[in-house]
Amino acid sequence: MSGRSKGAPFKNPGWAGNTGEFDLSEAQVRGDDFVGERPKHGGHASGAGTLPYMLADKEPEARLFEGEYQQRFEKILTRYPTKRAALLPTLGLAQEIRGHVNPETMDRVAELLELSPAYVRGVTTFYTMYNKAPVGRYLVQVCTNISCNLCGADEVLATFLRYTDTELGETSEDGNFTVIEAECLAACGFPTCVQINSRYYENVTPADVQKIVEQLKKVGD
Amino acid sequence: MSTTPPTSAPTAAPSAPAPATVTLTIDGQTVTVPKGTTILEAAKTIGTKVPHYCYHPGLSSPAMCRLCLVEVEGAPKPQPGCVTTVADNQVVRTVSDKALGNRQGVLEFYLVNHPLDCPICDMSGECDLQNYVHAEGREHGRGVEPKRVFGRDDFGGDVLFYGDRCVMCTRCVRFMSEVEKDERLTVVERGNRSVIDTFFDEGLDGTHWSGNIVDICPVGALVSKAFLHKARAWDLEHTPSVCASCSQGCNVELHTRDNVVQRVKPRENLDVNGWWMCDYGRADYEWMNEGDRIEAPLVRQADGSSKAVAWKEALGGLLARAKELQGRPVKAVVSARASNEDLGALAELVGALGGGEIVYRSPRSAEEIVLQGFPTLARRKDLAPNVKGAELLGMHRVGADDATGGLDKVRAHDGIVVVLGDALADQDERFGASAALYVYVGTQLPVAARAAHVVLPVTTHAEQEGTFTNHAGRVQRFWPALTAPGMARPAWLVLGALVGELSGEAVPRTAADAYAALAEAVPAFGGLAYPKLGARGALPMISGAAVSSGAKGA
Ligand code: SF4
Ligand code: SF4
Ligand code: FES
Repeated sequence: MSGRSKGAPFKNPGWAGNTGEFDLSEAQVRGDDFVGERPKHGGHASGAGTLPYMLADKEPEARLFEGEYQQRFEKILTRYPTKRAALLPTLGLAQEIRGHVNPETMDRVAELLELSPAYVRGVTTFYTMYNKAPVGRYLVQVCTNISCNLCGADEVLATFLRYTDTELGETSEDGNFTVIEAECLAACGFPTCVQINSRYYENVTPADVQKIVEQLKKVGD
Repeated sequence: MSTTPPTSAPTAAPSAPAPATVTLTIDGQTVTVPKGTTILEAAKTIGTKVPHYCYHPGLSSPAMCRLCLVEVEGAPKPQPGCVTTVADNQVVRTVSDKALGNRQGVLEFYLVNHPLDCPICDMSGECDLQNYVHAEGREHGRGVEPKRVFGRDDFGGDVLFYGDRCVMCTRCVRFMSEVEKDERLTVVERGNRSVIDTFFDEGLDGTHWSGNIVDICPVGALVSKAFLHKARAWDLEHTPSVCASCSQGCNVELHTRDNVVQRVKPRENLDVNGWWMCDYGRADYEWMNEGDRIEAPLVRQADGSSKAVAWKEALGGLLARAKELQGRPVKAVVSARASNEDLGALAELVGALGGGEIVYRSPRSAEEIVLQGFPTLARRKDLAPNVKGAELLGMHRVGADDATGGLDKVRAHDGIVVVLGDALADQDERFGASAALYVYVGTQLPVAARAAHVVLPVTTHAEQEGTFTNHAGRVQRFWPALTAPGMARPAWLVLGALVGELSGEAVPRTAADAYAALAEAVPAFGGLAYPKLGARGALPMISGAAVSSGAKGA
């Protein structure tokens, strides 16, 4: 959210390259602030303004749904026939603001959407994409489901843990990384797939990991 | 039967055209049921119980437990009986090899994480997992993996949750959201980590109907704290009764062991309480077990002391004195917890003595607590079961909403004073001191009965047969669950004997006789008799106006 200056353009090791079918650069396809800030353009148009992003700068204590976020929350509401139906994106928005969804957040969301807090808790805990506890600047989700697993995802995961110096599910001491396993990320054609914040890294091999981690650390400075 | 919770009795739409019917075969038997009936309900009509967890007739059907799968000829896969509706010429098999095989497989999955701690589980003996596995499960488990452990959680109220035993049928969640309409429970997490919980520490405190989730939980996951480790299910005797804690008259069962009521459970009656009862009524049974009872008739002696005597002596002396005083105005105080038969007999006695005034006191709460998803059920303001019965007999309410006061005239009356059931908690020993004859008919001996010439021990509704008239005028029977202490007898029998001697009429020998006498004397109770009332009660045929004071029919 802060006006951070961008580092050198970063080559996604997994970017499949221009196949000739589309005349698009990687940056055009991905947006260029994939791991840190919310894209300033493109991503906000129409319904996209209601989609949450995973930001690197998280403010666990931030007040929910104020200013711009209030507008986005209202926009979400207009897209659904009932308030109950707006629960998932609203939780996503709350997570964008705070980086995770804690009991207080659930309670506030329940109040806003006129739902019971218990129900909101049930929904929040059902979905693994809501972080129930604070995570690091970069949430590294390594797919270990079947395709990636066959292509060495376990080794990729172990390497991430080594270079970020953290345990599975824990946050590194510098607050930069939380590494978790993910089930299928729907990128089975590009194993191993790793999702870092809102961005996919495809065809990741253990040899790529160090570079990715160092790059991320640089972005974080 | 529809799968949505019924909000009124099935008999409530007599004007609807006769429903179309469907004829099918279940396990070789031909069944004809209304269109739209589910296979599970259709099977019930021929006495076939299809095992199930998630289905409950009072809740929506999510068809998620997969236990009710039955074989339907022509269908490629087994069908869930709880939501599959019947069709003409359908051939259903609930106990074929395929159906049994399905069930055995599903049950094996249920045991993957189930702790099988039946020896210390309160549900043991009435548990649907135990029953089904015993009947149709594998002889030996094949699981070698460790089971996941959740431990137990206090949900507040009377509810304790043993997470490991839960079969995730979500009946409890649906009860809270659809029937109580206070969505306190939810499924937290998913997969084999899923567990029922409230919003962190919120619990069930402040809810009024949550005790029902213990009843509908098919296994021992939700148990009652009050009943925890108190008795084994197979040691309990079940007696149909009526809740005495408000004028709704929920149909209940008293579960007793060793002549002690151990718990109260609701009994299905779609016209009154559905499958439910409130938490107050459920918790209000200890009084039936109280030990400080009057065990023999007591007659006051010349020196002011009381002497325990035989019934014959007590009633004989009482009759002699009553005959001397016949014609003196009577003032009677009754309790609205007394049965119709008891109140009717008292009204007749007052009539036989020459007439007088009968009043009752009864506690009232400020608000009705309506069960939102079954709005014909509410914990009524009147916190006694037979206020309506007393009103129909022409008795008048006196005193404040906490059932105190209002007895100044009776207290100082110099004629005949009769008290039936009222504990006179707000009165002192001077009560009735100036009466020419003061008869106290009750279960316990209050200070205010010191001046009584005769004290007659009677039974509580848990110890006798009888009826209550609920707030809507429905007359409902209850049965004796406990043996009465000592010489205590039902009030209708005691008072009826007195009436018989005074008037020369036949003395009722059974509660049914007593009711018949009442129905004859008071039109508001007419058109009914015990056989007609059955186990679920009925409305009197003649909806009569209240008869005048003193039951002149006597
Ligand atoms: S606690 Fe009981 S009623 Fe609730 S989901 Fe589990 S088994 Fe079903
Ligand atoms: S609603 Fe009334 S009759 Fe029913 S259980 Fe509660 S107190 Fe008893
Ligand atoms: S009762 Fe039919 S699936 Fe549960």
